[in-house]
Amino acid sequence: MKKADYLTGLALILLSIYVLAESWRMPRLEHLQAHPLSVPGIVPAFLAAILLIFGLILVGRSVKDGGHRLALSREGIRRSLADPGNQRLLLTAVLTFVYAGVLVGRVSYGLATGLFIFLFVAVFEWRRGMSPREMGRVGLAAAILAIVFTAAVSYTFERLFLVTLP
Amino acid sequence: MDILIDNLRLFLQAISGFITFWALFHMAWSTLLGIVIGALPGLTATMGVALITTLTYKLQPDLAILVLICVYVGAIYGGSRTAILINIPGTPANAATTLDGFPLAKQGLAGRAMGVATSGSVLGSIIGMFFLATLAPLLGNYALKFQSYEFFWLAIFGIVISGHLTSLEDPIKGWIAGFLGLLTAMVGQEGIHAYDRFTYGTTELMGGFALIPAMVGAFGLAEVLSVMRNPPIEMAKNPQDSVIPKFEDIMKYRRTIVRSGLIGTVIGIIPGVGEDIGAWVSYAAARRKSKEREKFGKGSVEGLMAAETGNNSVVPGAIIPVLTLAIPGSAPAAVLLAAMFIHGIRPGPMIMVESPLFVYQVVAMVFFATLAILIYGIALTKPLLKVLTIPRTRLMPVVFVLCVIGSYAITSRIFDIWVMLGFGIVGYILREMKYPMAPLVLGIILGDLLDKNMRRGLVLTDGDITPFFTRPICIVLWGITLLSILMTIEPVRHGLQRLIQKVRPGKRQGAG
Repeated sequence: MKKADYLTGLALILLSIYVLAESWRMPRLEHLQAHPLSVPGIVPAFLAAILLIFGLILVGRSVKDGGHRLALSREGIRRSLADPGNQRLLLTAVLTFVYAGVLVGRVSYGLATGLFIFLFVAVFEWRRGMSPREMGRVGLAAAILAIVFTAAVSYTFERLFLVTLP
Repeated sequence: MDILIDNLRLFLQAISGFITFWALFHMAWSTLLGIVIGALPGLTATMGVALITTLTYKLQPDLAILVLICVYVGAIYGGSRTAILINIPGTPANAATTLDGFPLAKQGLAGRAMGVATSGSVLGSIIGMFFLATLAPLLGNYALKFQSYEFFWLAIFGIVISGHLTSLEDPIKGWIAGFLGLLTAMVGQEGIHAYDRFTYGTTELMGGFALIPAMVGAFGLAEVLSVMRNPPIEMAKNPQDSVIPKFEDIMKYRRTIVRSGLIGTVIGIIPGVGEDIGAWVSYAAARRKSKEREKFGKGSVEGLMAAETGNNSVVPGAIIPVLTLAIPGSAPAAVLLAAMFIHGIRPGPMIMVESPLFVYQVVAMVFFATLAILIYGIALTKPLLKVLTIPRTRLMPVVFVLCVIGSYAITSRIFDIWVMLGFGIVGYILREMKYPMAPLVLGIILGDLLDKNMRRGLVLTDGDITPFFTRPICIVLWGITLLSILMTIEPVRHGLQRLIQKVRPGKRQGAG
């Protein structure tokens, strides 16, 4: 957490400086005879200044606790990737991002949704050493859920709420 | 007296308006769905209200808000089931419930614990409802006196207090989350000169980040990732004893119920401080005042009653600032506020002038939701527990599909799906690093209020900041804000504690 706080603090400082610079560059609208204290950049600059202080506090605090010295090791990364929880997280992130970020809007909504649900259930319920019968049961359950839920969502949003599906 | 009769008349009018087949039908399914959402670990009240908002677009505004309030009340109550039976709070609001609920279940008293949770939740909602009916009109009228200076401080006050109370161990993280939320709200066309800030020519960003996709991401996708990362949860067992609430429990702990109801309502009114804090503070207060202090944490009925009364009374409490100031008292109330705007309802200081009946309609909605949780709490305990056996591997893809279509459906823009994904990933990372989500959401909502009122205030005084610090309401707001910040600085806190002990030496000796 010390390392994370150190990095977050640095990110906050960079973000604040960027926002301050952007706020400074925003128009002063003199040609509209706008009051100098009503200009668009004043509030973002005020917020960035506060976040800059918080960033400096975070960095200062974590430096005091030695957060800046904690380096990432190859062993640590390997251990982290081997953790089943992190593997599940990574798999979930990949499945959800491929579905929502890549498939939706590019292929038919029904196909993308059905495929996503089927794969999600099948991938997470698959166990090493499963008998063909068990595999069939998981596959069937995944297929039924995928078909029924996709049909229900498509019908509800397209027919009842009159939403053009992506 | 006349005002009281007028208010009662409006309340009865609102109640009678909901006694129709469709209103009762919507109330029945939405409360049940709320209880199921609350009972399922990984599905929070905020996520539930946000997802269901997307299913209410085509409903009439009053029915849509009825559905959302029923989901909200149901979810906060439903979380107690999981807390009692498997020691895992169904929603964060039920974390304090596990302390005594689960030990009671282990003693074979799961049914009794559920009965206590039902009575606590129902009575907590009723107490909160009473204050919603009485305080909202008063606060609404009082808020008419607010000017830019007060609204500026209200935004800062909300962020600082919410940040502090939702991140007690490290308040700076709560404040960072809140100010990041405010900064996020700066994206898009600003409200005074119509200048596009931080949009870089993107037309989709001109309206800023839409709240519903942002919240669906921060509470939906982030939760899906979190649930899938954690180890699976053990399935629930059915209780063997009766789940019907006992009248003697209510009578015996009536003081605790009233105290917890009051605490919960006050916590609810404070911007961005949710049901979980309401439950914890009520629980701590009950423990301090209890004659059976030693039983707390080992299966105390009083502790369970305090936690469940406290969290459910936050719900109506959190709706008070939504209606009167357009500022949410909790994260689910933030979604409720967004839903009101979507349905063309304009909450805020003018509500008592423009549509006083709506305030009482909301009171009536809480009333019906409370009635429904009582009925479901008694009648449907065992079938409801079957829901807990749904594996997360089948629930989470379904939830995520709803997150995607829900974000898209508001304006039919793929861009909103990207907003949901972005907020989901950022929300997950921030949560893992112990940054609370409630101040972030509050910041997104309060950003516009802060922006307009800070600039308006400065223009009105031509740069003189004195009114920001000298007007009576401003003094209270900045005073509490400053005190909240100073209390996190250790030497200041110790100094203040020493000062209080010096001023009250007799009390200190007596306290033991």
